[in-house]
Amino acid sequence: MDFDDTPDEAAWRQQVRRFLEEHRSTLVDPATRHDVAAARARQALLYDHGYVGVTWPEAAGGRGGTPMQQAIVDQELARIGFPGLINLIGIGMCGPTVIVHGSEEQKERYLRRLLRAEDIWCQLFSEPASGSDLAALRTKAVQQEDGSWRISGQKVWTTLAHLADYGILLTRTDPDVAKHRGLTMFVVDMKAPGVTARPLRQMSGGAEFNEVFFDDVVIPDSERLGEVGQGWQVALTTLMSERLSLGGGGTEIGAGVDAAAAHLAARLGAQSADRQALVRQSFGRAYVSSLGTRYTGYRLLSALSKGALPGPEASAGKLAGTVAARQLSDLAVRALGPEAVFASTADGENLWQQSQAGLPGMAIAGGTNEVLRNVIGERVLGLPAEPRADKGVTFRESLAQSGS
Amino acid sequence: MDFDLSAEQRDLAAAAADFFSSSASPARSRAMLDDRTLAPEPGHAALAGSGFAAITVPESAGGGGGSVLDLAVVAEQAGRVLAGPSLVTAARVAVLLAGDDAGLAELASGERRFAVVDDGAATLDAVGADTFLALAGDRLVRAEGVVTPGDPIDATRGLGMVALGEQRVIAEDVALRWRHAERVARVVLAAEDLGTAGRAVEIGVAYAQQRHAFGRAIGSYQAVKHALVDAYVEVEQLRSLVWWAAWAADEAPEELPLASAAAKAQAATALERAAETLIQVHGGIGFTWEHDAHLYWRRAKVDRFLLGDDVAAYDEVARLALDAASAPAREAVPQG
Repeated sequence: MDFDDTPDEAAWRQQVRRFLEEHRSTLVDPATRHDVAAARARQALLYDHGYVGVTWPEAAGGRGGTPMQQAIVDQELARIGFPGLINLIGIGMCGPTVIVHGSEEQKERYLRRLLRAEDIWCQLFSEPASGSDLAALRTKAVQQEDGSWRISGQKVWTTLAHLADYGILLTRTDPDVAKHRGLTMFVVDMKAPGVTARPLRQMSGGAEFNEVFFDDVVIPDSERLGEVGQGWQVALTTLMSERLSLGGGGTEIGAGVDAAAAHLAARLGAQSADRQALVRQSFGRAYVSSLGTRYTGYRLLSALSKGALPGPEASAGKLAGTVAARQLSDLAVRALGPEAVFASTADGENLWQQSQAGLPGMAIAGGTNEVLRNVIGERVLGLPAEPRADKGVTFRESLAQSGS
Repeated sequence: MDFDLSAEQRDLAAAAADFFSSSASPARSRAMLDDRTLAPEPGHAALAGSGFAAITVPESAGGGGGSVLDLAVVAEQAGRVLAGPSLVTAARVAVLLAGDDAGLAELASGERRFAVVDDGAATLDAVGADTFLALAGDRLVRAEGVVTPGDPIDATRGLGMVALGEQRVIAEDVALRWRHAERVARVVLAAEDLGTAGRAVEIGVAYAQQRHAFGRAIGSYQAVKHALVDAYVEVEQLRSLVWWAAWAADEAPEELPLASAAAKAQAATALERAAETLIQVHGGIGFTWEHDAHLYWRRAKVDRFLLGDDVAAYDEVARLALDAASAPAREAVPQG
């Protein structure tokens, strides 16, 4: 057991750090923080120097590096306050799916451009009638005589769809088999005729996600990912990658425990001794929980570095991380005193108010906490699954049963 | 970074599991409540004979010359079967007697039965002890003592109030050493609790798989399943904090204050949750005297108060984190 960098890791960290310091003004310029073109340029700059897609195979445009090297890049980016890669969904979920299930031609066409943010990607899974029960989705794909597919239906909660150039799209190609067996995955051109993305405003006021409509959109058969009817297996590749990118590898959810500590430390002195003791008790609990999540993530990272695959236990990181992040954000808002009732302070600061409004969504996006508990309970602890009313029937029959 | 046990440590854990599972069982914890003359299992002599209690004692004094992490790996196995006396006591005494090879040899051989006395608190493993270590000002004293056992919640902990008799100063200026010993002891306590809590979750899961209600296994109901998952997640977080804190005790003393307080706090929280979930999942049988569930619960209700309670440990974590956050940025300027 050793928490220090190995000599190789230390050299890598120094190389990363030197590069980030050199380009700090470009990478963390507050003026262009929310500018899409600037965000694409930031990602391209990082990619061109080998700091995006570190763990991706070289053949896929990546560096062929280790999860630990990627973690070091993430840590160093967090250290300078980097606002995040714009193509996060593409890198974390879509790309890994194309790497495993795409044709050589698809890999050639998409992956390098994805890593450089020349194309932005989104993941089109959830629908108005199928969220946690993803396999109950209804978006229909029907094969035409020329082999191409015609898509109609609606997706929702699709992060970045309004900016995206491509998406991975899970569809129903056969309603007359059990729901998991009738699905097929495609790459869809988000600029194709018939695709409409409409931003949805979230409770935090932001609008990063969308509803997406498909009205007779045509997709060539060469854009299929995996076999017809194998869409569920393909989607599991995506979801496995998603677990890691959401809190599984020790990365923090929310504004971060160190930011919360600094915020509280600066304001605690103004409060009564009684109040300080109460704050410390709550903060201590949230802090221990954050440390527990961080070090559990490090254990996972060590296992991955030795060749293990991210298993269902990685879901525990997201589950525990969202709980701790909410405790921290709540304490930070309370520390604002009389200004805690406003959405921003008189100085225009709103980090913790925004965090407060954003975190309820984190306990839902990428698997609700309840679904994650089911996954851990059934696949890690080996507890029996909940009986399903739609087991042993075709998708069409289950629709009829539920009266929809 | 490599945050994992070594192959040798896995072997050590397997050997410890063999020893403790064949020489101790939770049934003894129940029997001790009914018969105050019984000692815990495996008991002082067998534990000394196993060599596990002396893992952190230097080889020159007849110990194993191992690390705190080695001892933590063993302590987890002891915790699974509610073993006694506690490895916490051995670990703490080994730190306090550093440099006193004669004293360490008495610990390693089992010739003396040590306990460490904190002012105003009940003493762990006091019952049956013959040699007491205590802090007098900033001096370490070795003393005889008279033990008054309390009415036990968990008799395996051997808790009692100690009135010190004749004392001998055996080291001066030990304030720092005393603090360090307490921190190492907290790590080993958290490691024992990790074993106890992990075992409690296992028993709860096994029962939820097997017990049926309304025509299905109760573990298929989300209300039961999610309670067990929450307990499991707490246990895995505890495992990470115990390993980190044990590593810090061996390799990174500057991280030990935070790590040991965090491990102690999480141990109290995780074990209480695991033990209470264990009882709840079992329903009616879960709160009978004959079922083992209350024996794990008893450990939880006692251990949370040992070496300072969880409230104090959370407060310490918060103070350390807030102090670090308000200190001027100490981060090294990037090289190159």
